[in-house]
Amino acid sequence: MKPDYYWETDSGLKGGTLVFLIPAALLVVLVVGYPILRTAGLSLFRYGLATGFSPEWAGFDNFVRAAFDSRFRNSLRITAFFTLVSVALEFGLGLFLAFAADSLHRGRGLVRAMLLVPWTLPTAIIGVLWTWIFNDQYGILNAALRGAHLTEAGIPWLARPGPAMAALITADVWKTFPFVFVILLAGLQSIPRELYESMEMDGGGAWPKFRHVTWPHLVPFVYVAVVFRGIQAFAAFDLMYVMTGGGPGGATETVSVYAYQTYMRYLDFGYGCALVVVMVLVLAALATGLHLILLRGHERAR
Amino acid sequence: MRILFWGCLVALLALSLARPASRDSDALSVLMEPDGTGVWRELIAKYNRDHPGLSVRMVEGPPATNLREDLYAASFLSGTAGYDIVYCDVNWVPKFAAAGWLLDLTGRISDEDLRDYLPASLQAGSYRGRLYRVPAFTDAGVLYYRKDLVSTPPETFAELVSLSMQYRTPERWGFLWQGKQYEGLVTVYLEVLWGHGGEWIDAAQQRVLLDRPEAVRALEFLKSTVGTISPPGVTNYVEEDTRILFQSGHAVFLRNWPYVWTLMRRSRAEIIDRIGIAPMVHAEGQWSAATLGGWGFAVSKFCADPEAAWRFIDFMTRPEQLQAVQRRQGRIPARRNLVPPEMKSILDSARMRPPIPAYAQASDILQRWLSSAITGSVTPDLALREAARETRLLLGN
Repeated sequence: MKPDYYWETDSGLKGGTLVFLIPAALLVVLVVGYPILRTAGLSLFRYGLATGFSPEWAGFDNFVRAAFDSRFRNSLRITAFFTLVSVALEFGLGLFLAFAADSLHRGRGLVRAMLLVPWTLPTAIIGVLWTWIFNDQYGILNAALRGAHLTEAGIPWLARPGPAMAALITADVWKTFPFVFVILLAGLQSIPRELYESMEMDGGGAWPKFRHVTWPHLVPFVYVAVVFRGIQAFAAFDLMYVMTGGGPGGATETVSVYAYQTYMRYLDFGYGCALVVVMVLVLAALATGLHLILLRGHERAR
Repeated sequence: MRILFWGCLVALLALSLARPASRDSDALSVLMEPDGTGVWRELIAKYNRDHPGLSVRMVEGPPATNLREDLYAASFLSGTAGYDIVYCDVNWVPKFAAAGWLLDLTGRISDEDLRDYLPASLQAGSYRGRLYRVPAFTDAGVLYYRKDLVSTPPETFAELVSLSMQYRTPERWGFLWQGKQYEGLVTVYLEVLWGHGGEWIDAAQQRVLLDRPEAVRALEFLKSTVGTISPPGVTNYVEEDTRILFQSGHAVFLRNWPYVWTLMRRSRAEIIDRIGIAPMVHAEGQWSAATLGGWGFAVSKFCADPEAAWRFIDFMTRPEQLQAVQRRQGRIPARRNLVPPEMKSILDSARMRPPIPAYAQASDILQRWLSSAITGSVTPDLALREAARETRLLLGN
């Protein structure tokens, strides 16, 4: 029972093909490599308003400062919470709907297209939309709550720490669960039906079918969906910037928002870059951890 | 279907290549607050009518001051003339001037005008002895009180508390102030701090004085009002929340800005008769101090035509224009002759927030710890020690 994933087929790079890769590689170096190296480089300097916009060598001072910066620690905690909750909800909702759509006999394409609409909209616009929905005076959500006599005064959603975080997570889940859904649906559809049939002949129920056929096949797709979503959620900026600005009281200030404040508002470029470098390192560690847990275990199972 | 697809593609391509709709390319631009009353639009139209060939274009920015600050910073960082004229808050001057983004306007103002402008406002527009911002409006913290209940306004914190206790009823609180985590909380705390004889940052010597006993006593006072003479929700209030509560008769005292005075004088006569203004209270043996705020005009370093920008600023800061804004928005002009008499002594006691380039960051540190202390998650003593430590780290000492 060894599924053939296309990325596992060993094509091998012959000498001649390497030449054709050079233009693409150059482009990647220019577009991705340069900004990364420059950010990493700047993080080792004191550079910004305080130094009159001329870089001064600082070694690892910026990182030492980050280690003792309670606001940074707080933003890491907030970001971790946001990432964990929103990715878990998106995964649950995406998986549920993927199963539902997979069992459809017709109209699957239509459902998929319809569910993808939120994913195609720009996040900033979605942020404005949800800000209106969550407005305490004229928002539709409070109007509905008042209509159902659940609250009289309405809840100032974006003005209280807890509700503001809930509002952000709601908006994020609404926008991005379709991404998880589409990837998992593709995974489900790639499973050969014969495997289920043979399980049925062996008298396997729903759980053994999921445990021994569906899940092992789905794991690489789960990995892709969770890693992509995790990285995006951990770097979340636009929703917070539009909906709460990181408030109230810094309760929704993610690492990206703090790095933006440091860079754009405090004009402290060196430290801002150091915060971004720390964020990238945390993300790399997370992705590696997920890879080890999901895919290694997956390979051993096979 | 295929024709439709290619048609759309070509149309998109054509759109993206088309030149942006031609704007008045010679016009100078200025980013302003949202023009709710329409007074800015009228004044700029008047200027454009009187100065053919020198037109100015207004861009209405977001209402949040810090967002407009970010928009200005982003346009300066890009290094091109995003905005030629800056409608500038007092707090932006050190940062923008230190970054070299504002033109030095020293010597541009006539001696006659120099004598008319309030000294504190002129000083707040300066950085290291050079003038970068021409004052237009001034602001200072004011204590409003119910004249019908309290015959003479309190002078000390102790009197404020005892009068609040005396006149509070189930429907009426004692003292309203702005406690939400934002710049307003810093301005209130500074007035209490100065009233206790303390200081936040000694800008001249770059010393942080937040962990001194006066600072702790000041914060302990603010914290002690929450739930006793001030409503529990005060820790989430901004200016308008407190003004509305006070104006509807739900408090004896209110700390707010002068715009409230203008708004109340415009409302029904029976309200204005019951309300008085006084300087902020102070501790025994200390002096009252108001936090200075205000707006003015500056010129971007990237402005293509500084002479034209100056003509505009000179026009906008004439008494007629300032009075027009005063009538419509309630702002107090920064010219001595236009300040309402009852505001004079309060404006004279106005003090500047520390004129340091890293002000925004220092304020964010203070806001966070003040908010934590007044909402009870840390003690005032610990909050200020932490705030002092972080501020020292920021200032590099």
